[in-house]
Amino acid sequence: MPEVLAAIRPAGQDFPVLLHIVGATVVFGALLASVGSLALARGQIRMFRIGYFSLLFVALPGWILMRLAGEWVYREQGWNDVPAQLQDPTWLRIGFGVADWGGLLFLVALAIGGVAVVRMRSGKSGAGLLKVTMSIAVVLAVGYVGAVWAMTGKPNYGTASPVQAATTNAAATAVTVTAREFAFTLSKTSVPAGEVVFTVVNNGKIAHNFWIDGKATPLISPGESTTLRLSLDGGRFMYVCTVPGHAAAGMKGFLTVR
Amino acid sequence: MSFQDWLFSFHLLFAATLVGGLVMSWIVVVALFSTDGADETLGFNRVATIANIAILLGLPGTIALGIWLAILRPEFHPWDGWIIAAIVLWAIATAAVFRSFREYRKPIAKARALTAAGSSGESRELALLNRSAAGLLFRAVGSLAIVLIVIDMIYKPGA
Repeated sequence: MPEVLAAIRPAGQDFPVLLHIVGATVVFGALLASVGSLALARGQIRMFRIGYFSLLFVALPGWILMRLAGEWVYREQGWNDVPAQLQDPTWLRIGFGVADWGGLLFLVALAIGGVAVVRMRSGKSGAGLLKVTMSIAVVLAVGYVGAVWAMTGKPNYGTASPVQAATTNAAATAVTVTAREFAFTLSKTSVPAGEVVFTVVNNGKIAHNFWIDGKATPLISPGESTTLRLSLDGGRFMYVCTVPGHAAAGMKGFLTVR
Repeated sequence: MSFQDWLFSFHLLFAATLVGGLVMSWIVVVALFSTDGADETLGFNRVATIANIAILLGLPGTIALGIWLAILRPEFHPWDGWIIAAIVLWAIATAAVFRSFREYRKPIAKARALTAAGSSGESRELALLNRSAAGLLFRAVGSLAIVLIVIDMIYKPGA
C-alpha cells in the first residue's frame, strides 16, 4: 500500500509550496556556504566576511520567505479548520519548531557574527565570535535536514489509527463513502446511533483516506476500497481526508447521528 | 513510514542537497567576481569544493530515486510527460553544471601557478578568469534547468 503523502496537492497550494521550498533551500545553501567560508577561512578576513554576509544577505531573506510561505501553506491546507485531534501532527510541529526556534537561534548567530565583523573592521580579532556563529550555523543546517525529512516523510502520520474489524452484523448501519478529488459522497448523511460500518471507495486518481471521530482508514490507492467500523453516539461528527490540503480543498463534511 | 515514504524523503533530501549546493556555489561565484588574488581564489575554491560535492551527490541521487518512485507508484509512470520533461531538464542541468565546473577550474589552475611562482598578490589575468562569462553562463543554464525541474515537480502538468 503506497503511503507517500501530498505528492499531489490541490492546485491553489502549489505557489506557496514553491515559495516555501525555494526559501528553505536558499537558507540551507546559504548556511552551508557560511559554514564552509568560516571553517575554511584560515585567517582570510574576506572569507570571514563572506561567511557572515551569506547569513545576513542570503540566509535571512530565505528564512523570511520560507517562514511566510510556510504560514501561507498552513492556512491554504486548512490546518486551523480541521478537528482538534488532527491539528498540528508531529511532522508539522517539527517543521514549525525548527523554523521558529531555529529562527531565534539564527538571530543570535547574526548578532554574534555582526559583533565579530565590526570588531574586525576596527582591527580587533573577531575569529572566536565567528566560530560561535559557525557552530550555530552547523546546528541549524542539521536541524533543517531533520525538518526536510519530517516534512517529506511525515512519520507517524496517516496510519496512526487502525482500521476496525469490518465484520458486519444486523445491528450495524452500512454507509458507502466515495472519495475523489476533492470531495466525499456519502450514501447516508444521517444514521442511527450505534455501530456504523463505512465502506470507503477511492474513485479518484490519487490516494485518500477517511477520518471520523478519531479513527482513520489507511491511505487508499486509486480504485481500491477499505472499511472502517466504529460505534457512534448521537451528535454531529466531522469527517475529513487527512492528506494535507485535501480537507481544505473540500474533502470534509458532517455526519449526523440520531 | 513505508518504504516509499523513505524513498520520497531521501529523494527530496537529495534535491535539497542539490539546490543547497547550487545556492552555495552562486555565493562563491559572486565572491569570485571581486577576487583577483591567488590566495583568496584558492580559499574560495575550498568552499566551492563543498558545494560541488553537494551538487555531485544531489544530481544522481535525485534522479535515481525519482525514477524509482515513478516506477513504484501506481499513479505515476516514467513515460508521463512531466517526468520525461524533468529527465530532459536534469540532463541539460548536468551537462551545463559539469561544463561550468570545467570553466571554474581555469582560475584555480592559474592561482596555483601564481602561488607556485611565489606570487599571491593581485593578478589581472586571474581576475578575468574569476569573472569567466562562460562559467557564469553554464552555471546559470544549469541553475535555471534545476529551478524548472522544481516548478515541474510542484505543478506536475498533466499529472
